[in-house]
Amino acid sequence: MSHSASHPAAGSPAGSSTARGIALGAGLLVLALVPLMVGASPYMLGLLISALILAGLALSWALLGNLGGMVSFGHAAFFGVGAYASALLAARLNVPVLLAIPIGGLFATLSSLAMLPALRLSGPYFALAILAYAQIFRILATELDWLTGGAAGLQRFPSLPTVFGLDLSERAGSYVLVLACVVLFALVYVVIRRSHVGTALRAIAESEDATRVVGVNATVLKTWMLLLSAFIAGVFGALNAHIIGFLEPDYAFSGIWSVMPIIAAVFGGYRTVLGPIVGAVVIYLFDQVVAKSLIPVGHQILLGIVLAVMVLVAPNGLSGLVARLFPRSEKHHAEA
Amino acid sequence: MTELVLQALFSGVLIGGVYALVALGLALAFGAMRIINLAHGELVLLAAYMAYLVESRTGLDPYFAIPLALIVVGVASWILFLLVDRIKDHRELNSLILTFAIGIILTNAILLLFASDVRTTSSAFLQDAVSFGDVYAMRGELIAFVLALVLMGVLWWWLKSSWYGRAVRAVSSNRGAAQLMGINPTRIETVSFLVAGALASFAGIALYTMSVVQPATGHALTVKAFIITVLAGVGSIPGVFLGAVLLGLTEALTVTFASSALQELAGMVLFLLVLFFMPNGLFGARARRG
Amino acid sequence: MLKLDAVTVRFGGLTALSDVSFEIPQGEILGLVGPNGAGKTTLFNSISGLVKARGQITFDGKNVIRLPLHRRARVGIGRTFQIPQPMHHLSVRENLAVAQVFGAGRYDPKRIDEILTVMELSHKADADAASALALQELKRLEIAKALATEPKLLLLDEVLAGLESNAKRTFMLKLRELHRLFGLTIVIVEHDIETISELCTRAVVLNFGQLIADGTPAEVFANPAVMESYTGTAHA
Repeated sequence: MSHSASHPAAGSPAGSSTARGIALGAGLLVLALVPLMVGASPYMLGLLISALILAGLALSWALLGNLGGMVSFGHAAFFGVGAYASALLAARLNVPVLLAIPIGGLFATLSSLAMLPALRLSGPYFALAILAYAQIFRILATELDWLTGGAAGLQRFPSLPTVFGLDLSERAGSYVLVLACVVLFALVYVVIRRSHVGTALRAIAESEDATRVVGVNATVLKTWMLLLSAFIAGVFGALNAHIIGFLEPDYAFSGIWSVMPIIAAVFGGYRTVLGPIVGAVVIYLFDQVVAKSLIPVGHQILLGIVLAVMVLVAPNGLSGLVARLFPRSEKHHAEA
Repeated sequence: MTELVLQALFSGVLIGGVYALVALGLALAFGAMRIINLAHGELVLLAAYMAYLVESRTGLDPYFAIPLALIVVGVASWILFLLVDRIKDHRELNSLILTFAIGIILTNAILLLFASDVRTTSSAFLQDAVSFGDVYAMRGELIAFVLALVLMGVLWWWLKSSWYGRAVRAVSSNRGAAQLMGINPTRIETVSFLVAGALASFAGIALYTMSVVQPATGHALTVKAFIITVLAGVGSIPGVFLGAVLLGLTEALTVTFASSALQELAGMVLFLLVLFFMPNGLFGARARRG
Repeated sequence: MLKLDAVTVRFGGLTALSDVSFEIPQGEILGLVGPNGAGKTTLFNSISGLVKARGQITFDGKNVIRLPLHRRARVGIGRTFQIPQPMHHLSVRENLAVAQVFGAGRYDPKRIDEILTVMELSHKADADAASALALQELKRLEIAKALATEPKLLLLDEVLAGLESNAKRTFMLKLRELHRLFGLTIVIVEHDIETISELCTRAVVLNFGQLIADGTPAEVFANPAVMESYTGTAHA
């Protein structure tokens, strides 16, 4: 799965970037459905579900990094808030799970409002401020035990329902649901990137004054990206919570949820839409199947090495490598 | 009650000395290269584990690990510099990610070599309590604090008086002008990273003798060092020392009056308060807005 | 339409503009004159919101001095930079689209095409603005971007500098055309006395951050104080 997922990208013919993107996306989608058709083992499906959860998180991280120009070391905050909010809504207020999940996302957005003051900080200061937020949320989830169950965690909250005869709490159903969410948010990302907002955000990174002087409110646009990124991360946190059916602060707000999306997105190429998704699947499977069997404790050392090597050798990730090996049409060449 | 407060204040000041050493290393590398070394705490951690290695294998006092730590951490810091120096595009962002990755590698390497257990010195001499009226300290804490003060003095003298120190300051304030004066910035950056590594070595050993370490400590130390530079700015040694003591006090008071679970939270809250309400730091550091 | 009242800008201890006051009526082409470092660009920066100024800047009857940079573009103040600042990573057309959508609050591709035609940039419409344009094209893009925000007031910072005399003449005709076509009020920074005399109905002279003369170009350039500050700086 892992190597076949990256193949069509390499083999796709040169063409306009839109056609190329659609072809790529459709190809990947078909590939993504293969495990269902061939009846992959529950273990394999479970791995793929987790990989797709990570893909959604990596997509949300890359959206903030690529469009918002911000590096986040604290996406665990949004992931955890989404998870807890959705689980608590479903358990305590009997909110239907499929409604609780997007509301969980909204709660993550709400929590990101507290980070707005951090937006006026430059690079490393923003990165570390958001890391501080993630820690604060983890500690809050532990301390507010009347609400969250404290360190012992939450165990009894509803799992995913059955919709149109498809039991979403079964592995196959969960897989389809998570995949659909990844596709949906990837499309949202594409639409934003191609919009005027996306164009303006692309300009802000290197020409802030020139962009603001024609009327672009850079802070507001970046704010929208932070809110959206938090929402997406929250939704995947909520999905994950209802799929595994168990939450505790050290898990939901684990540094893993901050670290893995960075590795996945940088590995796949965080300046593209597909990069983080492909990167997440490859990295997650590599970590779980290869790294863990080689080094049971401390397997993250291999991920660290992968990340360091990627930044040094191919800072644009897999997609950058693909672009280098298979250059696009002449038109794009002339522009480059 | 008063004794509790006094004891907390005393312990806070003592740990502040070591925090200052960690933060000064971070600030030095930042001054020279304008990058935040997110693996700096892991360098300190590496030194602490060298102390553990020497103590557990030879039974010698942890401070005998100084030469070994200087060599190991110095080499690690130098390699780190060489890697960071290779980054050409989007330097600020990519160097953050690269040093973050190196931090992950170091943390897990230590986890692999030394397991995840919590380690601290077994030296009875260092753990002996010394009393000052109503307040107590371990001998290790006092030695570490004095060591920190001495090193800060040495660093202050070095930056102020030596040729290298002046060049480091010249490069941090104006790279282009320093180059025109015939200073080779790469050489100065290398020296800054080596000195940062040396500070990390001493800080790590001192930490091992007065507190506990485990693989996750490195990351927490990076964050603390960063908090201190936000509190103090990277401009002056006394400023960093005051910021470090303030963090130490905040943590100690939180542990005394709330719970040790909230210790890190207190530091973070302090950090965010200063960041948002005093964007120039407590002592008027340089601007950090984008 | 634009009224400056005691506009003052300080950078640390340095006073870049001190108590500058003058008024520009609708439809005027005003020359802003003065030696290098006199504060001309700082004046543009304070009108367009790039630097904080004290005093009053009234535009269309409203004091805009507290408006942030991006809001000034939306109320109708457009400007160019002396060193062209295209938006990086964007094509020429995308530069104009961003300026139009965010500065004018609407998207009208036909009008963008018109601006591209008027500014003779149609052939480079899809080229990368930052890397594929020659200096004179970049200067035209500066004006095109400002026009796309649909300004009432256009601040032009040395757009004619570096042109040889024929090209300069053509470009002046172009500016007159823009002035008429878009119903603009224009302030232009320019060193050349002949150009100012020909293009502008009025000139304002800055020296050491202070306004030292204000009148028709003929009056201003007959003023001995102006000539003293001026000789040797540009008109050699």
